[in-house]
Amino acid sequence: MSDLLGYIVTGLGIGAGFALVASGLVAIYRVTRVVNFAQGAFAVLAAMLTASLLGSGVPHGVAELGGVALGAITGLLVGVVAIGRPGTSPGTSLIVTLGLGVLAYAIEILIWGDQPRSYPGVPGVAEVGGARLQAHYLLIVAVTGPVFAVMAWFFARTDLGKALSACASNRYAAQVVGIDVRRMGLLAFAIGGALGGLAGVLTTPVQQVTFDSDVALIVNGFAAAVLGGLTRPGVALAGGLLLGVAQTLVAGYGGGAYQVEVALVLMLTVMIVQAARTGPVAETAR
Amino acid sequence: MKRLGFGVLALLLVALPPLLPERHLATFVLLTLAAAVTVGVSLLMGYAGQVSLGQASFYAIGAYTAGLLAVHGTPPLLGLLAAPVIAAVAAVLLGAPLLRLRGHHLAFATLAVQLILLSLLAQADWAGGAIGLQGIPRFSVGGFELRNDLGYAYLSCGVLAIALLVARNVVASRAGRGLRAAATSEVAAAASGVAVGGYRLAVFALSAAFAGLAGGVYAFYLGYLAPGSFPVLLSIEYVVMAVVGGLGTIAGPVVGATVIVLLVQVLNTLGTQPGMPDYAPTVLNYAVYALLLVVCVLFLPKGLVPALDRVRRGSLDKARSIR
Repeated sequence: MSDLLGYIVTGLGIGAGFALVASGLVAIYRVTRVVNFAQGAFAVLAAMLTASLLGSGVPHGVAELGGVALGAITGLLVGVVAIGRPGTSPGTSLIVTLGLGVLAYAIEILIWGDQPRSYPGVPGVAEVGGARLQAHYLLIVAVTGPVFAVMAWFFARTDLGKALSACASNRYAAQVVGIDVRRMGLLAFAIGGALGGLAGVLTTPVQQVTFDSDVALIVNGFAAAVLGGLTRPGVALAGGLLLGVAQTLVAGYGGGAYQVEVALVLMLTVMIVQAARTGPVAETAR
Repeated sequence: MKRLGFGVLALLLVALPPLLPERHLATFVLLTLAAAVTVGVSLLMGYAGQVSLGQASFYAIGAYTAGLLAVHGTPPLLGLLAAPVIAAVAAVLLGAPLLRLRGHHLAFATLAVQLILLSLLAQADWAGGAIGLQGIPRFSVGGFELRNDLGYAYLSCGVLAIALLVARNVVASRAGRGLRAAATSEVAAAASGVAVGGYRLAVFALSAAFAGLAGGVYAFYLGYLAPGSFPVLLSIEYVVMAVVGGLGTIAGPVVGATVIVLLVQVLNTLGTQPGMPDYAPTVLNYAVYALLLVVCVLFLPKGLVPALDRVRRGSLDKARSIR
């Protein structure tokens, strides 16, 4: 029984990382209709910078903030390239972000090499209801919860957040009332970058990061986000946590070998069911 | 004009391999195989309007089919013929549910399929597991065995020629017209009686068959297969080649693959010069793919071949107007 509880809390920690990546995807997709393939790269870049900063003596907290800031800046840059040119269709932007994700590999290897990196997080072992697990997982959960709460407040209560939501629900109407849709898109990319960066910074102490960890992150993040049709952050959070718990349970009881497949098969099933519901022909309104 | 292009290409494919030094012959083989896979990707993206980020999985399926059959004593020719068939069957089975998806959903679904395949292959002891499948015999027909690279160069040329020929005929056929119509507007095409779903599945299977056939040759050429030989990046490379060359053109995949492989080769030589850091080749490699893809998609959205066509036609027009 205490095993089960341990797996669940660990899974929530891992899932919180997925949820952050997913919410970044959702933040960008809602406003720009672009699925950002470089979302995993934000996490990797942020984690790598944090590792370097910590290594050169910068205290905890500042180093992590530096990582998140790098994520946000990278997000903005990716946004500029992906949607900066007027008339770029979302499909084209997807391919552009794919290219930028590969470009991030080159930059990461150039600066940090191709070896896995990590840094110490919250030390020690925590006990939850008799189950022992790495204390850092509790930190991940403890940070992710408030972040989602702040996001909900931001999108619903502030002017800027409302403007973003307006772009998400109707671009044309948003333009008519004087919202600069392109600038909002870039802002969304920066927010997405910061969220991706936060995911990388938080999970690196328990999962080493290499330049190509972004594939696993983006696939899991997309799997979480797709549950809510890529537009609902709340569902993305639930999806991420569900994925994390499902993977740890499979790893814990079924032997670790098949935990990758869990996320992927779940994602495929969800997408196929969604497609079956909306019908085979999905012509987008223009 | 089209005929001429094909003639020149055929002549090049026949005449070039013996002239190449041994160390470049390996590049030539891999280049032609990549071009053959890219023909399928281009057909899928250009005519069926679908992005596949998992084309390397069909390459892997073909390679493992040929490799496993040959290791267990099946004649290599049979193994090579089975490779595209098994790849196409896999594509039909996967495509039936997956091709309901569109755009980014399909891109992620194909990517997921490849990740699942790689993970399963790494755990499959009967396929060599993570260490890989070793001891694949060389390709042979009857008693004649292909030993040197030159033979494989011609074999892969044959594969590319088949892929190009089939692709050209499909495009020119009734089904090809239906597909092009469906890529512009699915509803309109379906309303005009195009069996959109069926055609799309057929193209998916066809592109998988090309990849499978190329993978079969790859298995015999290298004699060793591992899940690590088919990374996700390989799938992305095929997309880059297709996009750079020009989607929906027949010559595009060949041009795209050639340009990229040659560029990567030049940069590799540059990166391995004494004095360069040891990570230089990898970095340059990634950077080339990334920058080419981004620049092409943003500034040459139709790819190199149509762009060159336009330039040539433009200069012809100018010459005429002067006269």
